[in-house]
Amino acid sequence: MKGFKAVIIISFMMLIFSSCTKKNGEETLFIAEQYGLAYAPLQIMKEKQILEALLPNTKIEWVTLSNTTSIREAMLSENVDVGFMGIPPFIIGLDNGMDWKIMSGLSKNPSGLVTYDKNIKTLADFTSADKIALPQPGSIQHILLAMACEKQFGEADRLDHLLVAMKHPDAYQSLESQSTIKAHFASPPYLFDELNNADNHLILSGEEAFGEDFTFIVGVCGREFYNNKKQYEAVNEGLKQAITYMKQNEAEAIALLSTSYSIDELLLKEYLTQEGMIYSQEVEGLERFVDFMLRNEYIKNDYQLDDLIWE
Amino acid sequence: MSGLRNKYIQRSISVIILIFLWEILYKLQMFPVQLFPSTTQIIKALVEDLMAGKLLVQIGHSLLLIIVALVMGFIIALFLSYVGYLSKSISVLLDTLIAILDPLPGVAILPLVILWIGIGEKAILFIMLHSIIWPMVISIQTGMNNIDKVYIESAKTNSITHWQLFWCILFPLSLPQIMAGLKIGWSRSWRALISTEMIFGAIGSLGGIGWYLFEKRTFMNTPGMFAGLIVIIIISIFIEDVAFVKMDAWIKEKL
Repeated sequence: MKGFKAVIIISFMMLIFSSCTKKNGEETLFIAEQYGLAYAPLQIMKEKQILEALLPNTKIEWVTLSNTTSIREAMLSENVDVGFMGIPPFIIGLDNGMDWKIMSGLSKNPSGLVTYDKNIKTLADFTSADKIALPQPGSIQHILLAMACEKQFGEADRLDHLLVAMKHPDAYQSLESQSTIKAHFASPPYLFDELNNADNHLILSGEEAFGEDFTFIVGVCGREFYNNKKQYEAVNEGLKQAITYMKQNEAEAIALLSTSYSIDELLLKEYLTQEGMIYSQEVEGLERFVDFMLRNEYIKNDYQLDDLIWE
Repeated sequence: MSGLRNKYIQRSISVIILIFLWEILYKLQMFPVQLFPSTTQIIKALVEDLMAGKLLVQIGHSLLLIIVALVMGFIIALFLSYVGYLSKSISVLLDTLIAILDPLPGVAILPLVILWIGIGEKAILFIMLHSIIWPMVISIQTGMNNIDKVYIESAKTNSITHWQLFWCILFPLSLPQIMAGLKIGWSRSWRALISTEMIFGAIGSLGGIGWYLFEKRTFMNTPGMFAGLIVIIIISIFIEDVAFVKMDAWIKEKL
């Protein structure tokens, strides 16, 4: 009798669990992105319906999530096919056994640690009462800060006890109100807005922390999607078209983006023409991220370029 | 006592069955290991983090915050209840406050608390206090109002002081309800703490157990996430099945 009950319970559990991972029968392509100017080519793809033209019989679903961890989790549970994120969270996923690689670069952009406190000129000026806002531990902002700490103090986690996880808009608000948050590791447009305020200044730029140019956001997909050549090629081609479109039709692109981001056209133009705002499919800086993360035990294994990029 | 032992044996058997089912599901490889780690991986992650020491400090940090919140909340709740007991108009005011504030989840006032208090331990403490004071007051008030009026009347005819009325009559006679209030306060503050730490990542120098869970999630350490859950479960069981049971027994003995 007991054995019978156990069988029922187990099969019931299997039923519950298996229904979670059921995949949609019809052809749908799920793409996940985040907020911010770094994702502008994706916005163009959406607005110009580039993917719809390349994949006529496929439904394209765009998902905007507020952090990389959610995108990674959505991809792990097979709810998203292509995800866009910073390089470090991608490497962390790979290191924890996710069968995925980079399919394309998306953007390089400036980033940096901004404070309103006149007394904080370098990382060494932070006291233990100060708090630094960034999106998450393990995010590209966190790793850049850790890289700078390693350079300056020889200790990557020197400032980790000051971290507070906050979304960019919340951190921006906090910094503006000059309350508990002393500094924010920001990306555009928040970085530009914060630096436009005369009270704020930059302590450290992402480029200084990293030591050279690097790709900020990459597109990542799993093996199953990579093997689905039709969709894989289409997404790559779509990215190429979107980036080319932005270069060749700057004014039109800015008009389109200004409506979808609800940012004034002139302001947006100023943002997009800032030094360091580059949209490109090239991927740069992978080895340095891997080396640093391995050296400081954020990951356990070493990876070569073949392990990181499809083809 | 044998009843208690029986309970532990039954529970242990249930836990063993659960672990066994878990391992079967793991062995079937139905889900990626990042979603469903094995029990050995989980235990390994737990032991490693405990040995490294940081997790212990984080647990201590969380528990310390809860104790501070419970003590402060308890004193405030006792005071409010007593004042409410003495004055009808204050009692009405208190009831209204409770009706307004008690249903408000702590997490819902988080954005407001950030504006008023900022982030950090003070904010967490504020949310915990909000979560525990109102149910505690309800519980203590019930206890005080249920005391047989004979005791109160005879005390009053003996021209008793306020402090004596509170300390010698109201407090001891409503102890069972006070204990019930403490239990609710404990579980409410425990939840408030972990959810605020996880949602906001508001941290002290090391953060508590909620921050531990959050960090494990961002670094995609699923066994670590389960290890954090196990710590939370063990602490809850310890407080509810050992600490509170002992206190209840002690109170029964005294009464």
